[in-house]
Amino acid sequence: MMQNVLLMAFQLLIFPGLVFLILLAFIFEWIDRKVVARIQSRYGPLYTGASGILQPLADFIKLLSKEDLTPESADKLIFTLTPLLSLSLVLTALFLFPMASSHAIINFEGDLIFLMFILTLTVLNVALAGYGSASSYSVIGGVRSALQLIGYEIPLAISLVGPSLSVGSLSISKIVEWQASKGLWMILLQPLGFAVSMICLLAELEMIPFDIPEAETEIVAGWMTEFSGRKLALFRVSKDLKMLLTTALLASLYLGGAQQLGLAPPIIVFLAKTISMLLLMSLLRALFARFRIDQLVSGMWKYLIPLAILQVMLVCLGARG
Amino acid sequence: MNCEASILLLSAFVLSFALALSLYTIGGRISPRSREEKRRAGKTIPYACGEEPPPIKETRINCERFFIFAVFFMIFDVFAFMVAISYSAPAYLSVLYSLIAMMAVTLLIVRKA
Repeated sequence: MMQNVLLMAFQLLIFPGLVFLILLAFIFEWIDRKVVARIQSRYGPLYTGASGILQPLADFIKLLSKEDLTPESADKLIFTLTPLLSLSLVLTALFLFPMASSHAIINFEGDLIFLMFILTLTVLNVALAGYGSASSYSVIGGVRSALQLIGYEIPLAISLVGPSLSVGSLSISKIVEWQASKGLWMILLQPLGFAVSMICLLAELEMIPFDIPEAETEIVAGWMTEFSGRKLALFRVSKDLKMLLTTALLASLYLGGAQQLGLAPPIIVFLAKTISMLLLMSLLRALFARFRIDQLVSGMWKYLIPLAILQVMLVCLGARG
Repeated sequence: MNCEASILLLSAFVLSFALALSLYTIGGRISPRSREEKRRAGKTIPYACGEEPPPIKETRINCERFFIFAVFFMIFDVFAFMVAISYSAPAYLSVLYSLIAMMAVTLLIVRKA
């Protein structure tokens, strides 16, 4: 009993728990920045650590040690609570993914729905952060982020249903297991669903084609404008973790997730898959320019939702017809 | 959802929140305090390069043009959930349901365009 509890605590805290996740998130930010910089013929982070690998950590520590200013007009409670919540929500969601073995630390029937609930909650948290800072830029950014949610939430939900329909379970761990046992990746069965969820997750991450809520050319930094010091540091690290979360979601549902491939242990396979997804996302981020918000919302409804529904129909006909 | 999973989920959230809180407190320890004279120097007014920022009451975002999308959003949230839990139902029912949803989206697009 005691051993079980200790093992669980180790898994929750160290590997594949909090410490591992946060370090991985910093490495993901480094990869993203480096790849985007290389595509744009820049060098990217260079000096801290070997080819700048410690730069995200250094940025984080620098932000932590900066003065933390609260605007006079801001709602103090919301202003303090939202950075804390944004970090802890994303961290909680990351425990649902199988990383070190084919089972996640926390797995239950329906954790896919729980995950989508958390993804929505992070966006509401952003809207609340913008509202609580009481600066016009922040409010605009927060509202835009909520409007963006109206666009991408539905196609994301419908396309994530696809894998669970094929498997007959709403648990991420079971979907991963199913793919390992069949030796078949979901991306081969449902390429449409993969493409739709990839685009929607880019919008979820507020990455460049969809970085409307923090469009720095018009509304400074959007909902983040008034945050500084340790609060901004928490928001930054939670953004990196969200990058890890979305790539882990794609890798688990569509690329087979943490499975044993030959001699490679699950964690190595998982890292390879998530990093390949990250490279794809960075590539998309570097290639496109920002959309307008009406283009985003109506485009999502015009193209992505019909595609996602088509995918679900194909799954219904093919897998169980 | 069994008992063990809910305890684990709760403890994961509590641990994550504790981590966020401890990072926040460490940040508070190692960062300089904001002093009174700094506050009077205008550090705590909203960021606008020293200009009077646009007053917040005038910042109104036109959400009306997205109203129809918001209504559809609510309906389709239910649709996604219904499809998600439909794996034990006969396939033709889910396909029929999806077809109806597809027609609704087509109507939305045609009306807007």
